[in-house]
Amino acid sequence: MMKRKKIDGASALGFPTWAFVVFFFIMPLLLVLWYSFGYKPDLFTAHANDVLSFDRYAEALDATFIGTFWNTLKIGLIGTILCLIIAVPFAYWLAVKLNPKWRPLALALVLVPFWTNFLVRTLGWQIILSPRGFVSDFLQNVGLIDGRLDILYTQAAVQLGVVYNYLPLMILPLFVAIDRAGRPLREASADLGANRVRTFLQVTLPLAAPGIAAGSLLVFIPLMGDYITASVLGGAQGNMIGQLVASQFNTAQNWALGSAMAVLLMIFIAAAVGACALIALVFRYFIRRSRRVVLSGGAA
Amino acid sequence: MTGPEGLRALVPAASVARISRRALLSGFVVLTATGALTSCSRSTAFAESALPDGVLESNLNVYSWGDYSDPANIAKFQKNGTTVQLDSFGSNEELIAKLGATRGTSGYDVIVPTGNYIPMMSANGLLQELDHSYLTNIENIDPLYRDQSWDRGNKYSVCKNWGTTGYAYDTRVVTRELTSWADFLDVAQNEASKNVSVLEDPWEVTSMYFAANGIDPNTTKKADLDAAEQFLVHKLAPHIKAFNSSAVQSGIPEETFALMQAFNGDVRQALLVSDAPDAWKFVYPTPTANIWMDTWAIAMGSQNMDAAYAFIDFMLEPEVSFRELDYIGYNTGVTGVEKMAEERKFERPDLVFPSEEVVKRLTPAVVNEAAERLVSIVNRMMAKAGS
Repeated sequence: MMKRKKIDGASALGFPTWAFVVFFFIMPLLLVLWYSFGYKPDLFTAHANDVLSFDRYAEALDATFIGTFWNTLKIGLIGTILCLIIAVPFAYWLAVKLNPKWRPLALALVLVPFWTNFLVRTLGWQIILSPRGFVSDFLQNVGLIDGRLDILYTQAAVQLGVVYNYLPLMILPLFVAIDRAGRPLREASADLGANRVRTFLQVTLPLAAPGIAAGSLLVFIPLMGDYITASVLGGAQGNMIGQLVASQFNTAQNWALGSAMAVLLMIFIAAAVGACALIALVFRYFIRRSRRVVLSGGAA
Repeated sequence: MTGPEGLRALVPAASVARISRRALLSGFVVLTATGALTSCSRSTAFAESALPDGVLESNLNVYSWGDYSDPANIAKFQKNGTTVQLDSFGSNEELIAKLGATRGTSGYDVIVPTGNYIPMMSANGLLQELDHSYLTNIENIDPLYRDQSWDRGNKYSVCKNWGTTGYAYDTRVVTRELTSWADFLDVAQNEASKNVSVLEDPWEVTSMYFAANGIDPNTTKKADLDAAEQFLVHKLAPHIKAFNSSAVQSGIPEETFALMQAFNGDVRQALLVSDAPDAWKFVYPTPTANIWMDTWAIAMGSQNMDAAYAFIDFMLEPEVSFRELDYIGYNTGVTGVEKMAEERKFERPDLVFPSEEVVKRLTPAVVNEAAERLVSIVNRMMAKAGS
């Protein structure tokens, strides 16, 4: 007789996780996929699935979608790169230079903005960037700009907003990665004659690569779907694709078309991430090749 | 661990022995099936409302827009022994989604939909038909704001607040005198170019073109829609800086824009906090504009209908209604509030009480077959403006 399998302690502990993933990730995702093959039957109904087709995808892939996607991709890539440029020195300072006594405080300060609602923080920037705000007054007083600051409701404002909103998501994994590389390796590098710059470029940074990759993904992916920042700060110039999807679900009440757009967006983002990963891998290949040390007499 | 039969789980010790993987999985099948059934079923069965029985209930659940009633009024109503629980939504779609998904079990009694959504909501059985014998104060509402095209005979709703769309402009930038939507479109392409905001609402944006060209803003004719798209996307969009419904709130005090499409009451609020209100002008544009009306209605399945009727009737008392008007900044449509506003030195009454001539030329927005096309036109405009 076959013995009935029981859930042992470890699987039982894992249960909340997979239940959460099934109910709140996989099922909604499948539902979106399912809706995307349907259509909007009449004015008062948002979706129906009795006739299935790919028509919504053809409808979604028009010039508006593609144009807005490129705009969003530009904001996303520049935003991720800016986050990286700001976060690398900061995380390095936090992990290497700062007195460990102060580290918890510094990390807490990085997280403080998260205590306030995302929308409220973004609205705060509306006040900071306004043409009659204190930043504008200050820049005029020191003579950096003539006339009022004209940045609110432009693409630059969105760019600033997304960098501000997503920067902590870049700093934290980078900090962990640099911290884990550890002091002994840096000391070994110094002992072998490398100066600080060389140690940073050839020891610390390569070891932090997984952190850079994780941080970039954490920033880039949610940023591509963000529509709050763009709605609040963007105006017409900083229009992002998330707003387009939201308009189908809310204003047009066409869940079928909105779902098709959402699925396309996921595919496009995955493709963009894949393309970036490929570039990074090729880059790494050439760097490794140029730095390869062939041991004399070895069979390497 | 107590051997192979042992299992650690957050359940009473006595039942641990009974949990097997099969039991757990079958539990999931039931849960999933229930979920699938509730989400997919096309059943139209709604929980019945508990009709009034003359006894005021001790609770009332009101689902409204955020900060959309004077707390002093709510407090006064509660003195009758009914506790009011206020919840808020951010859009009509959110309201409809919640009422539709719960099929009469949402627990909400009084709701505040916008008038042009009433046909959709009543067709889907979301609304309780009103018994006017419980709403004696309905007579207080000015006939101008009763019996609207989207709810003949006030079968499902009564006016809560109404407003209209117009535009504000900075006279330091635009020195001409503006009166019509045609003027708006012209200035937007000239003096105010790149300094213009419009509402983030497809009907409002497209209606500017229709009104300026003598076309019914609720048109569903393909030729009209094509012409509107041609003009709005290629001519107007490049001059627009923002599609933002709250632009005017900071736009006037912070002087972010020179020309803003906006609702009358919002412009009034913005002017009251501006340090240069005289530099701005607001226009009720000719030939027509939207008249939107947020309404009191009772949700199907309401369990506190005595309190719901009492609450709505209370809100229609002139004195209470004036406090609502003063707090929210939009006309309540109750007869006599305009006179009270005059006596009590209500600031900028011109922005809450347009003349009867203006009110009579307004057109309520209709949610019709063109709705999706309007969304696509505005999405194209946004893409064009951003390119």
